[in-house]
Amino acid sequence: MTWARLVRAELRKLTSTKMPWAFLTVLVAIAAINAVAVVFGTDMDGSKTFIATADDQRSLMAFAANAMMIAGLFGAIAVAREYGHGTVVPTFLVEPRRTRAVGAQFTSVSLGGAVLGFVGAALTVAAVAMALPATEYSFLVSTGGVARVITASALAGAAGALLGAGIGALVRNAGGAVTGAVIALIVAPPLIVQLNANAASWIPNTLNTVVSGVTSEVGVGAAIAALAAWALVPAVAGLVAVQRRDVV
Amino acid sequence: MTDIDTPPITASARGGGRESRRSRTPSSHLLQIDHVTKRYGSSTVVEDLSFRVEPARVTGFLGPNGAGKSTTMKILLDLAAADQGTATIGGSRYRDLADPVRTVGVLIEANAFHPGRSGRNHLRILADAAGIPFDRVEELLDEVGLAEAADRRVGAYSLGMRQRLGLAAALLGDPPVLVLDEPANGLDPQGIRELRKLLRSRSASGDTVFVSSHLLSELEHLADDVIVINRGKLVTSGSLQDLQQAATLVRTDSPDVLRTTLESVGGVVEPTTDGLVVRGLPIDEIGERAHHAGVILHELSPHAGSLEELFLHWTSDGSVETDRGMAS
Repeated sequence: MTWARLVRAELRKLTSTKMPWAFLTVLVAIAAINAVAVVFGTDMDGSKTFIATADDQRSLMAFAANAMMIAGLFGAIAVAREYGHGTVVPTFLVEPRRTRAVGAQFTSVSLGGAVLGFVGAALTVAAVAMALPATEYSFLVSTGGVARVITASALAGAAGALLGAGIGALVRNAGGAVTGAVIALIVAPPLIVQLNANAASWIPNTLNTVVSGVTSEVGVGAAIAALAAWALVPAVAGLVAVQRRDVV
Repeated sequence: MTDIDTPPITASARGGGRESRRSRTPSSHLLQIDHVTKRYGSSTVVEDLSFRVEPARVTGFLGPNGAGKSTTMKILLDLAAADQGTATIGGSRYRDLADPVRTVGVLIEANAFHPGRSGRNHLRILADAAGIPFDRVEELLDEVGLAEAADRRVGAYSLGMRQRLGLAAALLGDPPVLVLDEPANGLDPQGIRELRKLLRSRSASGDTVFVSSHLLSELEHLADDVIVINRGKLVTSGSLQDLQQAATLVRTDSPDVLRTTLESVGGVVEPTTDGLVVRGLPIDEIGERAHHAGVILHELSPHAGSLEELFLHWTSDGSVETDRGMAS
């Protein structure tokens, strides 16, 4: 089986159920919430300074952290359901070399996560851009700034999906995998920071704001590498687990 | 919901250009289980199991629930790892096959479908991965009688329809080896009959057909050979016809004496309304032992038992491996 065929089959798996539409609905809802916040939201003092400058608007539109979380859930469900429904059996019968089969699955799930991140950021940017005329402020973020926000979100989506996929392969149960992704992306990072304050610059939320151009705690290259590490550790663990386990 | 509304499985469900799509060298399609042992924790599910499944034969795989049939099939298909021993297809492990989908057709998990995915998409995913044209998917959907329901969610399919979809998946690569776990489950009588025709037709053309089933009467009509396991161990294997003949009916006025005599030399004696059914001893030896014991026989004849009768005998306690070699 060629690699491209395996990835194409995995992409067809992702697109042949209603799951992508459910996630798209969530993205639309988040974009709508942002638009509502722009039109009706205020700061504590009743002003709208949270959209007053280009940096403020970019910070509002920076979707990468959301993308990583949403794509994490997407990846966890997409992979864990394969075991829950038993569809991993025909997958491993078509490609019994599990490294290739799971590698293709992780690749397609990461692509799906990137698409979710891209679409989520694009919808948010569009929603904010459409809502700003209803306020006293205009759209101030440059084209380059918008491109970076969207690109960062796509990268975060890919990383989140890969992280979720790894947890899904490890846990093999959709509920457990979702819980695992939430623990990895929401619960664990603040705990790690509590244990070591220096780790604050290396948790996903911080790294995503760096890649989005909102903050600069670490270099962009280092942030991207650290995000990749957050994704690769569970992915490699999942891959190793799949090699060793029976399909029962 | 039943699958009464679905057309029969077409016995010739094999697609065009079959000869050109695969090698037809039956000897390369022998399945071999060689001293396989599988443990889960402290439980031994399969123990030192060895048998062969010959090409151009339909081989039934029998055993009570939990006997280790599905585990053995999973080991053969590299879905589970054996603790000891090897399982090969044409001398190769499943994972080493150059083109698994075009070599082995598998139906092993009756519900291995995403309920929200259509039957057509399920097959297209497999076809995508294996590089099989979608024309073949349409051909098979038609042949297994699912063309009309192809775009419905599999979750709305009856068990019979799911079995048909599973069979279509197994036949997708037009493989010379079929490994089917309970393929008749959920099929209506017409579906079972058509499945039987399909498998007979496959074996007649040289294919290796390995079928597990708990439907003994169905296997009795279908299988050329049987392999019986119980508690993970081989009980018996061989030609079904020979195995069915591997018992002797004895009528005598001294059944207790004869029973004691025959059991003392390893015979398994079962009293029936027709007389004693003796297994594990050749018919000549039974006659000689009766003569030496001074027992008068009124009948000494080969006894052809039903598969159900044999199965119950084979899988009763203490019968493990007692019939090995009786067919030869």
